[in-house]
Amino acid sequence: MGEKPLSSSSSSSSSSLVDQIVVAGDVILDLSNITNQTLKLGPGLRQDGDAISVMKAGRLRFSKPNKYWVESSEKRYVPCVEDTILGIVVDCKPDNFLVDIKGPMLAFLPVLAFEGGTRRNIPKFEIGTLLYLRVVKANSNMNPELSCTDASGKASGFGPLKDGYMFESTTGLSRMLLSSPTCPVLEALGKKLSFEIAVGLNGRVWVNASAPETVILVANAIMNAETLSWAQQRIMVDKLMKRIQ
Amino acid sequence: MEQRLGNSYRMTINEKKFIEQALVSDLRVDGRRPFDYRRLTIKFGSEDGSSEVQLGQTHVMAFVTSQLVQPYRDRPNEGALSIFIEFSPMADPSFEAGRPGEFAVELGRIIDRGLRESRAVDTESLCVLAGKLVWAIRVDLHILDNGGNLVDAANVAALAALLTFRRPECTVGGEDGQEVIVHPPEVKEPHPLIIHHLPVAISFAFFGNGNIVVIDPSHKEEAVMGGRMTATMNTSGDVCAVQKAGGEGVLHSVVMQCLRIASLKAADITSKIKNAVETYNTERALKKVKRHSSLVAVEVDGPETKLK
Repeated sequence: MGEKPLSSSSSSSSSSLVDQIVVAGDVILDLSNITNQTLKLGPGLRQDGDAISVMKAGRLRFSKPNKYWVESSEKRYVPCVEDTILGIVVDCKPDNFLVDIKGPMLAFLPVLAFEGGTRRNIPKFEIGTLLYLRVVKANSNMNPELSCTDASGKASGFGPLKDGYMFESTTGLSRMLLSSPTCPVLEALGKKLSFEIAVGLNGRVWVNASAPETVILVANAIMNAETLSWAQQRIMVDKLMKRIQ
Repeated sequence: MEQRLGNSYRMTINEKKFIEQALVSDLRVDGRRPFDYRRLTIKFGSEDGSSEVQLGQTHVMAFVTSQLVQPYRDRPNEGALSIFIEFSPMADPSFEAGRPGEFAVELGRIIDRGLRESRAVDTESLCVLAGKLVWAIRVDLHILDNGGNLVDAANVAALAALLTFRRPECTVGGEDGQEVIVHPPEVKEPHPLIIHHLPVAISFAFFGNGNIVVIDPSHKEEAVMGGRMTATMNTSGDVCAVQKAGGEGVLHSVVMQCLRIASLKAADITSKIKNAVETYNTERALKKVKRHSSLVAVEVDGPETKLK
């Protein structure tokens, strides 16, 4: 996020397009009538002189007091620091694991970035291992760096995911699954079935349950839910539950 | 090196294990049963001889064009049918632009064999002047999205496009009777091709040493499967081509079972293609009908409107 100190005169700083669909070229704010205020622009926005214009299609989001960004659903992931993602080990190097995160480049996972990691106890991952990770560095033109620990160095759930099934969807679906309050598809499924789920912000979702039927049902229900409204999601899950009983 | 790693499709160990485990209890990851085919949609373009086929996530487009050429020496009175496949890197990152891969060649061969060697398209009717001029039919297949089972989707797309294709009418005339006049479609109604039967390709995937068989494998299943077999059949139950390239060996009885299932599915798909083509043809005929728009302008904004 780049900070743009602005010094112009007027009162309102909120855009009328907040939570609306915007496309590239839309001007969301005119800086010439905004008071002395700092705006923070997130992905998909840029400053053209006195105008804040949109660079990609999506929904404009606003967070108090001054953050704007465009949220869209993509099949490709642009890494961002502190995102939790699902990655696949592609190659093992002496210092790093190379991990595929659906991004523009492969990400590095340093072999020491594990809880209590030292040179002596480097974990061994087969190629194709699925990992739950955290993005630590995401600079442009550099391979992103990942970690299997939280900020305080504890494992706290990060690491390899055993068994289960992983499917790829879009970043929009992942964000929906992680939103709060819990999205209806997960809530409704969770009431009837017991399963484990790990959602990566890069559009990968891992599901595990004791019976493969449950895994397949949950995975397909989630994949179908992407384009449905909240009410439709509840109806879909209800129908599914009736069918399996 | 990293670029290559970035482009290949990756599957996790979890997925591989899960797909195999679920198949043992007759479950497939997309909720189908082993012998369920995915939804097949056939659409046509605005021009004759173009089709767009969707099989689940798989998306294939086909175009048919024709050209007058000199026939081959050994077959002076037969036209030519050739099939070209274009793999776009957009469909699957593992496809490289320009250079056809091993799979692209195999795919082309399966469809080519199914259509040509079963003599589905009547090539003799494509002859204009024996030894001098024949029509060469070219089918261009574009893979737009790879969701698994490209062979079946591409084959259906090729059939649908061939069924709706019409070659320009031409007459032989001139002083020596050797001059060929090609009539534009506005002057003389173009001719559809003569297609004797529809060879439909049905693919199977084998898992677990050939003990588990599924029809119409998806992209993920293709990444895990031990072997595949494509049977090209028509509605009368003739086996036009069988392709079983490498992979796990399968028993004779399994192959026979596959062929039986394939003939049922082929009948299903044939009727789908025929229905789609029929709707296209009626729409096409309706477009030819010219309707005069009503010439009487009615004034509606005045209160004293009168209709004469």
